[in-house]
Amino acid sequence: MTEDNIDEESLRDLLARTSALPRTIEPPADAWTAIRASIDKPEAQYAARKSFWRTTNARNNPAFLAAAAVLLVAGSSAITAVVIGRQANRQPSPVAASVQPRAAGPGTLAEFTLVENGYIRTANQLAEVLRSEESKLSPETVTKLQESLRIIDAAILEARNALAADPANSAIVEMLSGSYEQKLDLLRRTTEMARS
Amino acid sequence: MKRISLPFAVLALLGPLASGSVDAQTKAIRGQALNPDGAIRIYSLVGTVRIVGWNRDSVAVRGVLGKGNSLHMGGGRTGMKMFVEGMNERNPQPAHIEVSVPTRAKVWIKTATADVDVSGVTGSLDIYVVGGTIRVTGNPADVNAEAIDGAILITGSPGWVRAKSASGAVSLKGSSRDVTLSTVSGAISVAGGRFERAKFETVTGNIGFGGVFERGGAVNFDTHSGAIDLGIPGDAPGDFDVVSIAGPITNKLTSQRPMAGRYGRGAELSTSNANGGTRISIRSFKGPVTLRRIG
Repeated sequence: MTEDNIDEESLRDLLARTSALPRTIEPPADAWTAIRASIDKPEAQYAARKSFWRTTNARNNPAFLAAAAVLLVAGSSAITAVVIGRQANRQPSPVAASVQPRAAGPGTLAEFTLVENGYIRTANQLAEVLRSEESKLSPETVTKLQESLRIIDAAILEARNALAADPANSAIVEMLSGSYEQKLDLLRRTTEMARS
Repeated sequence: MKRISLPFAVLALLGPLASGSVDAQTKAIRGQALNPDGAIRIYSLVGTVRIVGWNRDSVAVRGVLGKGNSLHMGGGRTGMKMFVEGMNERNPQPAHIEVSVPTRAKVWIKTATADVDVSGVTGSLDIYVVGGTIRVTGNPADVNAEAIDGAILITGSPGWVRAKSASGAVSLKGSSRDVTLSTVSGAISVAGGRFERAKFETVTGNIGFGGVFERGGAVNFDTHSGAIDLGIPGDAPGDFDVVSIAGPITNKLTSQRPMAGRYGRGAELSTSNANGGTRISIRSFKGPVTLRRIG
């Protein structure tokens, strides 16, 4: 299996499945009733609160304001105590940290497949350009360059197989993207050096 | 007014500066005025190129040119070019040149197999070598060094560094606020400096790091199968997030033990040193990762 035919089949399958999906779907019949009810509910609560402030004129009552101040001080002190206590007791989590991709990008095999086709296409184009400029490089350099490309391809293939066995592993996707980026970068740099 | 073509004008300008000798090795001594922060571009295929910063607003070239080589220079006070032209491009003879440039000059160098050695320049450096070795000593504002199979060795504290090689080794002895070192199979070695934003990546090459991370920084280590050996002092801050798909993780820095990976294999480690404050992300497919305390 080569890296060129790994994805085309998956891509075709994905495209076929997405094209079969309807362009739009209607919401359930009772959706609007539920939405309107949830919108009306806060309005009614707000109206009730507003009427309390208007009718009681509590803002001008010194006893009410004093009670509110005591509640505020006691409440904030309690919250501060709880937060400080939590920080003091904080222990390193025994669970492995959630691994977030360091740059926004695909996180699964299905998402990566689309991106990967772009990588493969660009790499093939650059390799073609480099082949036409190869005579400008020394045979020793060409040999070492080909060896480096073989190393990257082997790493890509190994990571690709691991991802096929574990399609939701975002860490492998991240590493695979990194290997492709390195391959493109090496091809670009070598082409530019050979050209000038 | 009679017009002349651009190539002819360039030849007319550079012609009188050519060394002219085609018999054997010749010595070359040249000079030209250049602003303290002027730009200079140097092109020489084979041999050695040595750049030395000096406190003058001029460029001086001294060297020995191989048989059939000629040295061409041209330009003005804000920017100039020089190149060594061989009689036979398919079989170029080595030229060994030393160029003194204003300390703050912006220097651009391109060679095939010629080794490049730069020291005492505080301006910016752009160096492209196919198979030679690049050595930079001092504190340039920024360094962009690229090789295919040559080594890149930097000693000093550039403000910004990008160094890339395929099979050559890359080393940095010093500090930098912003650094990216990248190889395929070459080893990466970083020693003794302070780093704020950094990225170290290989495919099969080993990565050895001994230094300090600035609080608030972000540092990434990536490899497929190379070993990552990371050593920091006990009081250096760091929040480590380590993931290895199939390789082992050894933690000799903190008491936290690596755990089995969430995907049923490999290992993961999340730990902090010295109250953390710097995000350090380490990704390895199958190379071993070791965190340890130094100093």
